[in-house]
Amino acid sequence: MKFALISDIHGNLEALQKVLRDIETQGVEKIHFLGDVVGYGCNPNECVKLVNQHCDIKLLGNHDYAAMGLESTSSFNQIAQTSMQWTQSNLKKKSLEILADFEMQSKFLDYNLVHAAPGRPEDWNYILNKEQASEEFENFPESICFVGHSHLPTIFIQDADGMISQSSRQKMQFSKDKRYIVNVGSVGQPRDNDPRSCYLIVNHEAGECEYRRVEYDIQKVQEKMRKALLPEFLIERLSVGK
Amino acid sequence: MPEIVVKFDDKVIERVVSEKKRISIGRTSDNDIVLDNRGVSRKHAQIEFNDNAAVIIDNESLNGTFVNNRKITEEVLRDGDKITIGKFSLEFFMESRREESGAGLDGTMVLHTKRQKDLIVNDKSEREIIQRMGGSVLLGEQNTDFSEYRIDRDVTTIGKAKFVHVHAKGFMLSGIQAKLVKEQNEVVLVNLGRKGKTKVNGEEIDKQILRNGDIIQVGKSTYKFLEASR
Repeated sequence: MKFALISDIHGNLEALQKVLRDIETQGVEKIHFLGDVVGYGCNPNECVKLVNQHCDIKLLGNHDYAAMGLESTSSFNQIAQTSMQWTQSNLKKKSLEILADFEMQSKFLDYNLVHAAPGRPEDWNYILNKEQASEEFENFPESICFVGHSHLPTIFIQDADGMISQSSRQKMQFSKDKRYIVNVGSVGQPRDNDPRSCYLIVNHEAGECEYRRVEYDIQKVQEKMRKALLPEFLIERLSVGK
Repeated sequence: MPEIVVKFDDKVIERVVSEKKRISIGRTSDNDIVLDNRGVSRKHAQIEFNDNAAVIIDNESLNGTFVNNRKITEEVLRDGDKITIGKFSLEFFMESRREESGAGLDGTMVLHTKRQKDLIVNDKSEREIIQRMGGSVLLGEQNTDFSEYRIDRDVTTIGKAKFVHVHAKGFMLSGIQAKLVKEQNEVVLVNLGRKGKTKVNGEEIDKQILRNGDIIQVGKSTYKFLEASR
């Protein structure tokens, strides 16, 4: 079975629509969402609705959690706080009701799915380097864990001796004697110097995964964000993928 | 006729005047004197009357029976003796000082109704829970595991999901159905999930400031809100 994993949409409707269209061409049976449908972007309600319609497993991200008023935004930087206030005041009741059914962590086939880190999902820890990955490999029993959160498509690999390596290959063949933490990248705000939307296709039987990059109308999104008076930094970063 | 004055937290909750030969004391309702509180065994003790003597016998209770602060298994009672069982004290008098006011049909006179007694006992134990937990508390009641949840976070989540702080049951209940938010000195209950699944004192709510004793319903689960004094 083939399935798609999408994450970190952040209210970017144009990006989400193009990614969903691309997924349609990939012959997948299911789409799972790994969190952060809102925050930063200017179409949170539309994105919540689309994710709810198209995705099977739906996880909460830290921005979704904060948007529901379940956590203080004091850990957010100033720009993230400003955009979160915008999101909170623009998020409709219906969207909150949909988010209220999202999960914190899930299991699909032999895979662990979580937004940030498998250990304590609600702590929203980042897995940015081999040391952090090494700790998190202790926190899930499965061979493979798929995450989002950092917006950086990357794969941490633990070999049979416990050695950790990191790969940024676009396609990965999973080896039976290794374990993996795979960050699926971001649909709505990529940060790996490639402004195109990023998501992951997994072929379960073949034991492989492949990143897909999708172009979308960045300018259109930026115009909408300017009209919504969202912080300029958030608007600019979309052009460069940073 | 002998009289037994039952007190809880120094408040008289019951006066029992009886001419029975045997008065049973315990937690379950089939006892002559019902002491409904943790720490009291189901059949805790009994007082037996022979000729002019009254004897109290402890029924191997878990937490013991005390007469004038001394643990006993069997003891002859004297006028004015103080019996302690759990958090209750029972004062024993050979002759009722109130016989003139009239006894009930079975010779037992109860001055407080059960409701009044429950109020006194519950209020005390609820204050104890608040004190023990160190703040406002949500007490699990019907369709819960009867946990006591301290409301110490800025936000406490309630719902069906595994990861919420307070677990609730019910059909079509959202994963995170509601949240309790600490706002200055108040605790506010907000419905987040499907409409109509969060109620306070039987009324559907979107958002409501909670008051001590409020009954919260989330789906099928019921909780009592105990507010620490501000």
